Amino acid sequence: MSRTVFIKDTGTAGKDRTRDFYGFFLGVIREKGLENEVIPVRVADIGLYNQGVAVRVVPDNFVYTRVEESDVSLIVDSIKTGEPYSAKQVKPVSKQLRIVLRNCGVVDPESLEDYIAHDGFAALAKVLESYTPEKVIQEMKASGLRGRGGAGFPTGMKWEFTRKPRSDQKYIVCNGDEGDPGAYMDRGVLEGDPYSVIEGMIIGGYAIGASKGLFYIRAEYPVAIERIEKAIRRCHETGLLGNNILGSSFSFDLEIRLGAGAFVCGEETALIASIEGKRGYPSPRPPFPSVKGLWGRPTCINNVETLANVPVILHKGADWFSKIGTETSKGTKVFAVTGKVKNSGLVEVPMGTTVEDIVYGICGGAMRGKQVKAIQTGGPSGGVIPKEYFGTKVDYESLQKMGSIMGSGGMIVMDEDDCMVDIAKFYLGFCVDESCGKCAPCRIGGTQMLKLLTKVTDGQGTQKDLARLEQISHAMQKASLCGLGQTAPNPVLSTLHYYRAEYDAHVNEKKCPACKCAKLIRFVIVQNKCVKCGMCFKACPVNAISGSRESGYLIDQTKCIRCGQCFEVCKPKAISRS
Amino acid sequence: MVKAVINGIQVEVPEQTTILNAAKKVQIKIPTLCKHPDSYLHASGACGICLVRVKGSKKMLRACCTPIEEGMDIITHDPEIVAIRRTVIELFLSNHPNECLSCGRNNNCELQTLVADFGIREEYFEKIVRDIPKDDSTGNIVLDPRKCINCGRCVDVCQNVQDVWALTFLHRGFNTRMAPAGDISLSDSPCVRCGQCAAHCPTGAIVEQDDTVLAWRALRDPEQYCVVQIAPAVRVALGEAFGFPFGANVTKKIYAALRRMGFKAVFDTNFSADVTIMEEASEFVERFVHKKGPLPLITSCCPSWVDFMEKFHSDMIPHFSSAKSPHEMMGALIKTYYAQKNNLDPAKLKVVSVMPCTAKKFEISRSADMSVSGYQDVDVVLTTRELARMIKQAGIDFVNLPDEECDHILGDYSGAGTIFGATGGVMEAALRTAYSFVTGEKLAKVEFENVRGLEGVKETSVDIKGTEVKIAVAHGLVNVEFVLNQIRRARKEGKPLPYHFVEVMACPGGCVGGGGQPYGVTDELRLARAGGLYSDDEAKTVRCSHENPYVRQLYKEFLGKPLGEKAHHLLHTKYQPLPVYRR
Amino acid sequence: MAKLTREDLAKIKQDATAAEKNWIKVGYSSCGIAAGAQEIFDVLCEEARKHNADIEIRKCGCVGMCSAEPIVEVCVRGMPRVHYGKVDRETAVKIIEDHVCGRLLVNDHVMDGRI
Repeated sequence: MSRTVFIKDTGTAGKDRTRDFYGFFLGVIREKGLENEVIPVRVADIGLYNQGVAVRVVPDNFVYTRVEESDVSLIVDSIKTGEPYSAKQVKPVSKQLRIVLRNCGVVDPESLEDYIAHDGFAALAKVLESYTPEKVIQEMKASGLRGRGGAGFPTGMKWEFTRKPRSDQKYIVCNGDEGDPGAYMDRGVLEGDPYSVIEGMIIGGYAIGASKGLFYIRAEYPVAIERIEKAIRRCHETGLLGNNILGSSFSFDLEIRLGAGAFVCGEETALIASIEGKRGYPSPRPPFPSVKGLWGRPTCINNVETLANVPVILHKGADWFSKIGTETSKGTKVFAVTGKVKNSGLVEVPMGTTVEDIVYGICGGAMRGKQVKAIQTGGPSGGVIPKEYFGTKVDYESLQKMGSIMGSGGMIVMDEDDCMVDIAKFYLGFCVDESCGKCAPCRIGGTQMLKLLTKVTDGQGTQKDLARLEQISHAMQKASLCGLGQTAPNPVLSTLHYYRAEYDAHVNEKKCPACKCAKLIRFVIVQNKCVKCGMCFKACPVNAISGSRESGYLIDQTKCIRCGQCFEVCKPKAISRS
Repeated sequence: MVKAVINGIQVEVPEQTTILNAAKKVQIKIPTLCKHPDSYLHASGACGICLVRVKGSKKMLRACCTPIEEGMDIITHDPEIVAIRRTVIELFLSNHPNECLSCGRNNNCELQTLVADFGIREEYFEKIVRDIPKDDSTGNIVLDPRKCINCGRCVDVCQNVQDVWALTFLHRGFNTRMAPAGDISLSDSPCVRCGQCAAHCPTGAIVEQDDTVLAWRALRDPEQYCVVQIAPAVRVALGEAFGFPFGANVTKKIYAALRRMGFKAVFDTNFSADVTIMEEASEFVERFVHKKGPLPLITSCCPSWVDFMEKFHSDMIPHFSSAKSPHEMMGALIKTYYAQKNNLDPAKLKVVSVMPCTAKKFEISRSADMSVSGYQDVDVVLTTRELARMIKQAGIDFVNLPDEECDHILGDYSGAGTIFGATGGVMEAALRTAYSFVTGEKLAKVEFENVRGLEGVKETSVDIKGTEVKIAVAHGLVNVEFVLNQIRRARKEGKPLPYHFVEVMACPGGCVGGGGQPYGVTDELRLARAGGLYSDDEAKTVRCSHENPYVRQLYKEFLGKPLGEKAHHLLHTKYQPLPVYRR
Repeated sequence: MAKLTREDLAKIKQDATAAEKNWIKVGYSSCGIAAGAQEIFDVLCEEARKHNADIEIRKCGCVGMCSAEPIVEVCVRGMPRVHYGKVDRETAVKIIEDHVCGRLLVNDHVMDGRI
């Protein structure tokens, strides 16, 4: 049986040697006459980073790193014998564990049969045949699953609270109003595996005693909406929704409601108001939705990712699930890793995986040879985790200890070019834009904070302004009505905590250490380095650069908007940024 | 009942009592800007000032909307709580124009009071006030969104108490503002000018249009002959502005004050309320006994209710009493009967009405029927609040004024006229007279207690010599729909009428809780003011409108018979369906 | 379609696992569509028809490597199952010609070991 050899230079200081090694392998294979037994292939990614040339032999799954030219012949020999070449062998570790994303990229999201073929609706069948609603709740509680929307409230308890009150009607709502900047885990699940969310909702409905469920999906997710619509239709046609599901006495119906793009509508009470057709304003709790929710009826609101966990838990058992993750955070978490990272995308890891493993191990670290500076989790409600603390485990408690939160799963990677004051301003700006405007601490406090931060990044800030920032932050955290306002100051407090020196540099020295804040930097052409290529002249969007290939070029500081385009395109690094 | 501890003090309150109200019981005042003590309004939790905490917990709760629970140990004031409240107030201040001195709510503003109480002496945050123009399109209610603190009281009362839905919030975040839905002008909106928004606004963001200048101008013009009338509910509320206890009846001091301000004659709308009863009771008898016209008969004294009906329930027009509201009747009578009798040129007669109401400002130019004398029958309408200001401007020591009587003959009233100001009052007054009109007998007991009180819809029946008259009384426009739907359903299903006679007042509690009354209305206050009116009624020897000798004289000398030609011409009006939105 | 029963579910699963087919899956979530999955899907179908290849081409959700979209997963019996990333027209043609028909992996696009 033939072996395939995947070859990839996973990044060292020098040039990419993938092609060279491919050549070496070809040569050795030809020399040894093994053309039919060993087939090399250059790959684009091998799941390892910064470990020199890496090679994987399949199907044996032997992985070698830091392979040198001298190793090639020995590796080929080892393939012949079937024994691994131990000198360079490393254990292939799969850092990802796919529970929520189990079917994403696997099943055809528009095919009910495909979903069923991948154990779909097996959990529902089992539940309806042999579980009482109480048993389902028991099982969910035993699994330790906590809400994946951000707050991490135990799902089983939420279901129990909604089951308790007596009511003629109850609702289960799937919260698909994902709105954190850079987060799209829920979109991935809704688009890639819509039936699993539906199955989770039917089971949830059975557990809490609801005969009606609603999907609340933001209108900016047209593909997700279309697939959920199709899936609901198919479920109706096949009796998986409607009366007497799978021959049981349980009946359940699903509908979709679209969110009009307000971030605050991810907040449970605002979401309820939005579904009811009212302005998306949060309202004070109590009463909690589990007692008085949609149209005054007990309502359980679960996040997409939470619901996608449900069928697996009930199919494989709470025991199995509770063995994954940490003591207090069970199961896995999907992260949408974006920003200045080599491989952005959706990553699902067991709770307790370190930030390091996610950022470097799975996503390959920073782009273009830069250094990672920090990550932000929890989006605009979270905080930063500096590189020095990348040993932090991702679980609800550890992240909170770091001054951040788990949030819904956005993980934005920042590199050395990112100014932390600017980052804080960005996130705060998002919350100010998305504030519903109902409560004063968030509405006015957020706006005041943004003004103060802008002062700082403009080089006009004072230490007193930093004190004001902290004062408002504190008031917003305590006095805002809903989670949006209560957590909006987190990015500011977190960056103030870890990067106070950067704030001080802006305030005391009027300098932006990361050279990001436009008002505090200037670009100058260093004439003795300039090769007069004219690239900067072409790149400048505002015609602030004048001159010619003969006379050389100059930047007019009054016209320059400090966008950095010229700096980026200058090959001989003749433009200084200070 | 729930037992708990607040600041170390034991408290026992019914379940679902908020921490804010429980604290009040033990003399602890938790500051708040958004929660109005009026129970009709919901706690929105918008201001974030009423924070308290459970002892030992870091989390803070909003006292306005959190029910106190058994065994809770609440701290309402500690250094951190006070510091946060202070920051929030400073934030409010940074978003509020510094126009206190020229503001309609100066010295009467809840924000101003809080800023003063917290001793805030500097503006700690940069001023960020958006430049949004005032909306004075209605000519009676003025919106100044810059002064709005987004507490949501006006929106709540407009949507959930009055069911008008003229006001809403627009935009979001910092740009959120209270405005008519669709950002149209208030006059193009469904607004019925009830003024409940203004009555509940904590700041000067919604105030009545100030017409005191118009009144002064007329008073100071030697060419003009100024006369005035005061509405029933004014007499039991104006005293609040001068430190009188709630519900104190200061009618005779008002008469005195008005004379000193320069009015040539002081009349009382209570008198024309008696006239209204003559017409309306006759109308009822026509329909009920002689079957001329559809039943139920629905009262029409409240201009907001008329506007609301014309906009939202125009199918009820045939049921409406065509009788004008009392102050319009008075205006018409002054410029015809009184002018002729005293040889005055109606062109130079200025009629000022002092009303508990902002909608009356709008009513005086509602239709051509309001100028039946050949001139606009009522020239200026002042609210109770405006009158209080004018008295102060005139330098009158109101508290120590001697009592005076009103002028004849358009002043002396029966007990029936005075109770017009409370919900159920018009019904009670009409029943007293209708009974006599139907039976020709005098009522043994004139009180109809079943129609009194603050229940949203009061349904009862009255026996008039063996015939049952079924009645309903609704106040707060949100309660109207229920009553009207009962009528519609019965009509559709061919069932017997649920009611023969219906009274509606737009404002909760009736006119005593009107949009032009002194601020801070609660049910307690509504009951106290209504109580003042019922005491006034009891103290009268004449308790029924048709027994008022001056009313009889008026009909004999001038009007002829109730519903007669002259009466019909001067005292009645017509209604027409109106579009909800005007474009 | 008639209402499904528990037995139907088991049967659908059994039938699906019994059938061994060669297949290609194209990532067809927002990230893939935005990167041009539609075109790649069309090219793959056309090439497969041209070469009369024994292959079923399906759509699937996002596999998580969004920065490498469009992603195509290929399963041909007797060969390693691989994901190809950043697939352009040319690579799509090669996937049918070289991988599916020629049974040779296409260089420079395999995304190995990420999942």
